[in-house]
Amino acid sequence: MFEFFFKYPSTVYSKGKLVLLSGWPEWLLILLTVAAIAALSLVMWRSKPVWNNLRSAILTALQAAVVCLLLLMLWQPALSVSALKPQQNIVAVVVDNSSSMKRNDSDGTRLDAARKILDSALLKDLEKRFQVRLYSIDQGLHRIAKTDALTGNATVSKLGDGLKQLTAESSGLPVGAVLLLSDGADSAGGIDRQTITDIRSQRIPVHTIGFGKEQLTKDLEIRNVDVPIRALSDARLSAAVRFRNRGYAGQKSRIEIKDGAKTLAAKDVTLAKDGEEQTESLMFSAGLAGARRLAVSLKLMDGEENQSNNSMSRFVVVEGRKPRILYIEGEPRWEFKFIRRGVEDDRSIQLVSMLRVTQNKILRQGASSPKELENGFPLTPEELFQYDGLIIGSVDSGYFSLTQQEMIKQFADRRGGGVLFLGGRASLSDGGYDKTGLIDMLPVALPGAKGTFERELAIPIVTPSGKESMILRLVEDPDKNLERWKTMPKLADYQAVGRAKPGAVVLAEMSTPKGVFPLLAIQNYGRGRVGVFATSGSWRWQMTQPKEDMTHEMFWQQLLRWLSSATQGQVIASTPNPLLSDDGKLPIRVEVREKNYLAVADADVTARILGPQSVAAQIKLAPDPVTPGVYTAQWNAPVAGDYVAEIEATRNGQKVGADSLLFRREDGVTENFYSEQNKELLEKLSEETGGRYWKPDMAGKIPTEITFSEAGITTRETYDLWNMPIFFLMLLAFRATEWLLRRKWGAV
Amino acid sequence: MIRRRLAVSALVISFVAAALAQRRSLSVNDYPFDDNAPLVTPPDANEKTEWAFARLQYPSLQSNNRAWMARGHWTIDYPKADRQFASGVRRLTRLHVRSVEQVVNLESDDIFNWPWIYAVESGHWDLPDAQCAKLREYLLRGGFLMTDDFHGTYEWDVMMASMSRVFPDRPVVDIPNNDQIFHVLYDLDDRFQVPGTVNYPFNKTYEYDGYEAEWKGIYDNKGRLMVAICHNMDLGDAWEHADSPYYPEKFTGLAYRIGINYIMYAMSH
Repeated sequence: MFEFFFKYPSTVYSKGKLVLLSGWPEWLLILLTVAAIAALSLVMWRSKPVWNNLRSAILTALQAAVVCLLLLMLWQPALSVSALKPQQNIVAVVVDNSSSMKRNDSDGTRLDAARKILDSALLKDLEKRFQVRLYSIDQGLHRIAKTDALTGNATVSKLGDGLKQLTAESSGLPVGAVLLLSDGADSAGGIDRQTITDIRSQRIPVHTIGFGKEQLTKDLEIRNVDVPIRALSDARLSAAVRFRNRGYAGQKSRIEIKDGAKTLAAKDVTLAKDGEEQTESLMFSAGLAGARRLAVSLKLMDGEENQSNNSMSRFVVVEGRKPRILYIEGEPRWEFKFIRRGVEDDRSIQLVSMLRVTQNKILRQGASSPKELENGFPLTPEELFQYDGLIIGSVDSGYFSLTQQEMIKQFADRRGGGVLFLGGRASLSDGGYDKTGLIDMLPVALPGAKGTFERELAIPIVTPSGKESMILRLVEDPDKNLERWKTMPKLADYQAVGRAKPGAVVLAEMSTPKGVFPLLAIQNYGRGRVGVFATSGSWRWQMTQPKEDMTHEMFWQQLLRWLSSATQGQVIASTPNPLLSDDGKLPIRVEVREKNYLAVADADVTARILGPQSVAAQIKLAPDPVTPGVYTAQWNAPVAGDYVAEIEATRNGQKVGADSLLFRREDGVTENFYSEQNKELLEKLSEETGGRYWKPDMAGKIPTEITFSEAGITTRETYDLWNMPIFFLMLLAFRATEWLLRRKWGAV
Repeated sequence: MIRRRLAVSALVISFVAAALAQRRSLSVNDYPFDDNAPLVTPPDANEKTEWAFARLQYPSLQSNNRAWMARGHWTIDYPKADRQFASGVRRLTRLHVRSVEQVVNLESDDIFNWPWIYAVESGHWDLPDAQCAKLREYLLRGGFLMTDDFHGTYEWDVMMASMSRVFPDRPVVDIPNNDQIFHVLYDLDDRFQVPGTVNYPFNKTYEYDGYEAEWKGIYDNKGRLMVAICHNMDLGDAWEHADSPYYPEKFTGLAYRIGINYIMYAMSH
């Protein structure tokens, strides 16, 4: 239809430039147009028509439009378009050869459909105009002679990498366009911005033909599972399972998390609206130290079109270390006793406490040796930084020297530890902390006056943020958890603190006779974490509930795990994702720090890697040129399976520290997901490179449209517009309208 | 004659009613059983603190001693011993201490707000089963009981008659010298019998056949003392008479140290 009115395809208009071929000056066209409009208006005004002004204006406008259009046609408008020279340019036809193309949507596989289009006419039509090169794309790009070479057996499709390879290889060749036939399923999760920029810099338009259903009718698919990469033994972990359904809205399904044959968690869920993503959280115990490969699955529903996208695996490294937390308490308090009792059964926490019983006596408990803390609170960073967490109870700020106060700040900021401030009669504002440098690290503002600690009962209230927090999770179901908190006994006392600072999160508040105040507020500070628990009265949760009730213990264990579990050692090894999907590339990053946690820039860092099929390697990490103390390397895991990397850092022959990294390579799994056509990716790729997205049934038009490209060897072609049918139709329409109006208004 | 009898009866009833009304109007801290000093309420009596001397009010065993039966054995040394000891705890430790005692009982759940309680003369208590169950629950949640001032075989048996119903499955054992309760603040390896004022004027530090002081206790499953039993000694008298020139300082000193250690242990273990 477009071509019937406008003579040429829309691509000509989108890529062409308007020119006037008559050779007469453009200003003359404008002058004559203005003059014609003015003359017609004058004539109409002088004739003093019997109609009102509006009708006169309409008729004048119609006459002027006719004159203007005729003038424009006289100047011979045309489009100048850059077009590929016949047979001098290459068109790269790239076909997705991954297993997702073997998915049978309705009438054959996606790969069959692509083959059929190419073999029936498209390749021949393209070959009439261009030199055609046929490629398959999977892990990389491969030149093929015929479509018979397409098998659909590749477990990976990396569209971005393949296109990048194509542009690199063809940088000296006259590639006029790329035609990509794919379902858009990309193992890497998409095409990055740099790849698109590289293609665009060569001005090569990428046209795409999308295969596969844009929307399945019956399917349940896991989209993502979010679990911590590292955890302490026995830690309660939360897995956020994101999934969507097609055709099962309102029905029941079941999520299971398994470690081998052992079911760690299960939850019945009601499926949300069709196509809507929903997220459910499941809690489970990390168990003992070791590597866990979790299989997360959704129950297979009747009639699912894709039965391979209902499960996903994740890798969790459960660490055997036992974080040590130093708890300093300035006076005997029930809270002290019950915190100690609350966490004593936690195998993953070692609580070392120092209690100022009298002016001259500090009671030490949980120390590893008689020497530990024998001089009181640590005097050096090395001594303090051996702990992973720090709890400061009712201790007047003046008890700490300025050096110690700075050490406490650095404990969170530089060492990456967690610091928890408790309420009390010598805590926070009442302890003078508002007048110290420590106020910077607190997640709440402090009133600038004393008398904020009151021994009056306070009601704990979980905030919306706290509802999702693992710290306050006493019952797995978030709604039931909220109900449980509503029945918790009152706190014995409270400390009024100010509002949470920007960036801080208030997980719980408390209702008191003097108003509502933050109870538990947390925030990140530097590399570490800081929390304020503005009471010393949670011991009532233990004493006023039945002895079998474990909520007090759970709360304190979860709070202290939050405080200390993310605190790392002197050598920290990491990789962005320990589960390598269809790709062996393993970036390793290692941070090396001294005992005082200053960066070590001159360490020797090596990684010894052991993997399946007797894979063994030793690599040396190189210092990062930008960040002191950071060492990086990239290694390629050659085969699928589990790997372990033992990393050790030495300095002048002395061991600084060690860490280990567990990772796994999985092949052929990601292709099972996102089974609907990823039209969005294909459209975006085309749009950003100057190409166009095509549906398979429109493929016949591609050879013509692909011609208009600025890449390769081109020539400028001119297409006359003055004789477009639309112009003549418009002239006819203007005159006919004028005649009809005159007749209606009684002037004919 | 009838009129006179009616008048006498009315007078007696009025007197009893008035006495009962006065009794009801007394607060729990104002039991009129001051042993050795007039009851003066300190100005900071209502201060809210971390710790208060919580004295356990319990029912006494039926006995021939009608005076103590009426008053209740739990009131012995009350309240002077409590307040005098509390002032020592306040002076010698960093604990926030209330100047006056708190009377608690096993009929109300309020006892769970006082994780340290003191029972005097437990050789005369007679806890009903319901109170035994509540005391067990209290101790297993984390509460601490100190008993004191009972002597000899008979009173031991009476104490155990109730205690064995509190913990039928837990033995009462001697607390070893190296237990933290004797070292949490003061090192108390060298302990001796602390006498009451009943026999001390007669140069006797024991009562009945309680010749040797016994430091016993009941532990929980994790090796923590829940009940500290001071048998054949009278720490309460030592606290109460700390201001008496006739009561030797060495007994008072030990009694204070024992009591403070027991509190510090209860607040840290």
